[in-house]
Amino acid sequence: MRIGDRSLRLTWLLVVVVVVGSLVGSELAERPPLTNADRVHDLAGDFACPVCQGQSLGESDVPIARTIRTTIRTMVDRGRTDAEIRSMLVARFGENIDYTPRGDGLVGLVWVLPVLVGGTAMAGVVLSIRRWQGRSTGGSAPGRPVVLGIVAVVVVLAGVLVARSAGERLAGDTLSGDIRSSTRTLLADAGVASPDEAISLYSRVLEIQPSNVEALAYRGWSRWRAGDEAHGRSDLDEAVAVDPTYPDVRVFRASQRHADGDHAGAAEDLVALDGLMAPPIVGDLLEASRLRQRIATGLAASGDLLVALELLDSGLGARPDAADLLAERGWLLVATRSPELVGRGLVNLDEALALDPLDPYGLAYRAVVLATVADRPGDAAVDLARFAGLTGQPADLVDLLVVVGLLEPQPEDGP
Amino acid sequence: MNPAGVNPVRRTALAVGLVLALLILVFATRETSRDRMTTHLVGAVAPAVVGATLDGSPWDLDDQRGRWVIVNFFSTTCVPCIREHPELVAFAAAHAQADDVRLVTVAFDDSPSAVVAFFAEHGGEWPVLTVDTGRIAVDWGVVGVPESYLVTPSGHVAAKVIGGVEMEELDDLLARAVAAVS
Repeated sequence: MRIGDRSLRLTWLLVVVVVVGSLVGSELAERPPLTNADRVHDLAGDFACPVCQGQSLGESDVPIARTIRTTIRTMVDRGRTDAEIRSMLVARFGENIDYTPRGDGLVGLVWVLPVLVGGTAMAGVVLSIRRWQGRSTGGSAPGRPVVLGIVAVVVVLAGVLVARSAGERLAGDTLSGDIRSSTRTLLADAGVASPDEAISLYSRVLEIQPSNVEALAYRGWSRWRAGDEAHGRSDLDEAVAVDPTYPDVRVFRASQRHADGDHAGAAEDLVALDGLMAPPIVGDLLEASRLRQRIATGLAASGDLLVALELLDSGLGARPDAADLLAERGWLLVATRSPELVGRGLVNLDEALALDPLDPYGLAYRAVVLATVADRPGDAAVDLARFAGLTGQPADLVDLLVVVGLLEPQPEDGP
Repeated sequence: MNPAGVNPVRRTALAVGLVLALLILVFATRETSRDRMTTHLVGAVAPAVVGATLDGSPWDLDDQRGRWVIVNFFSTTCVPCIREHPELVAFAAAHAQADDVRLVTVAFDDSPSAVVAFFAEHGGEWPVLTVDTGRIAVDWGVVGVPESYLVTPSGHVAAKVIGGVEMEELDDLLARAVAAVS
């Protein structure tokens, strides 16, 4: 019996060592987040949304949760540690939102009580078994095969636990480690990639640097254009939240909002853009696409003429010699048919053509006004003749002139 | 019954009961999360409030040192904010001549055009910040609108009000805070 008792004790000791060792080992071997995006995801999942019931910051889509997520992204990218971010969140919103509270003070009971309860329960079970053994006939210990079976089960479970926490491998990982490109290289590659590849490359940039505004803006724009509108809008909003002074995203979101019928929102983005030091290429893009004029037309059509004029004036503030904007301003005023505003509109059209005598919009709009409102067909004919001499006449202007009867419909091309 | 005359089961139950009673007492008398919310930031240096107002002018809370300031977080789509607005308008009007307290509104998750339209319709001449206000809200630990803070002339938070405010409440807060610092 002496040998049997020792063997039993050794078996129990082995069980305890394996259980405790696997728990400690799995905790120590827990893989740290691979990317900054993982860190943001983990951190957002560790905190409760301050105004939601049962949702983490990562799950909630209320404004304050989105704002806090943006703050976490920015802090992660700026190299702040998890401890600093956790401490900031607890300082701002209280320790109640922390799903993994500190282990000191009364909060420590959260950790201590379950262990105490578990330990007490285990001690109770052991005590009961011993009493039961004492009462049983012969008082013999459980058979060795049973104990060995229990040990085997515990060892297997511990092995699975350790394997799950330490042995995860991502698809594409190699034995020697992952080879990563820099975010700059990835962004450059995305610029010349197909839309699907570009979205994938921008996502890789965001894994490394979750608050990279360029990747957010361009992925949002690419997604939106590819038809993934909800994610596209979300990326664009996130990019503006991360950096409201990034010019490209203002143009992208203005275009998206305009297409979605939110002309006022689109105008806000362009007015914000006018207050930024945008590179010349952004201005060229706007001029070529006539986005500002199209938004102004949308606003005027929905009864927001004042906002439409403010949008054009904001553009003229940034580009005072923009004949196309002056022409659009004049056209919107003329379209009101209010005598006073028509007069002002005509002045704007004259100013536009003084700046650029061959501006197609100025010529076509003024020709229409002179012929149909001001009853000056001779002057209208002069503008029309100049317009007819232009190469590459905008199709929308040709259609307009045909509709008002100043141009003959173009014959259809033969087969 | 053991030799000492005390049943071990009763002794254990008594000990567990005492521990539980102690825990209940500790947790019941502890500061609640609601208390922490209303006292959060009170006594601390006010976080930054920097931005451009609706007319594009720069505004910085630090420039208001030497004055009492009410920092109000609001949104045009929040019903309590709409309800409290006339009270803020009355409060601002009542203190306009004495200029003993100033008001600034930080519009959270709102569009500038909606805020402009709101103030045009409901009145209010004080500075309103609308752009990039999410960071300000996080710095102040704002979890919902409306929330209002009274900031002392030295730049410390003297009081915090969660939910809509009334003019009398603000006057009372201001009077008590002025008395406390003088």
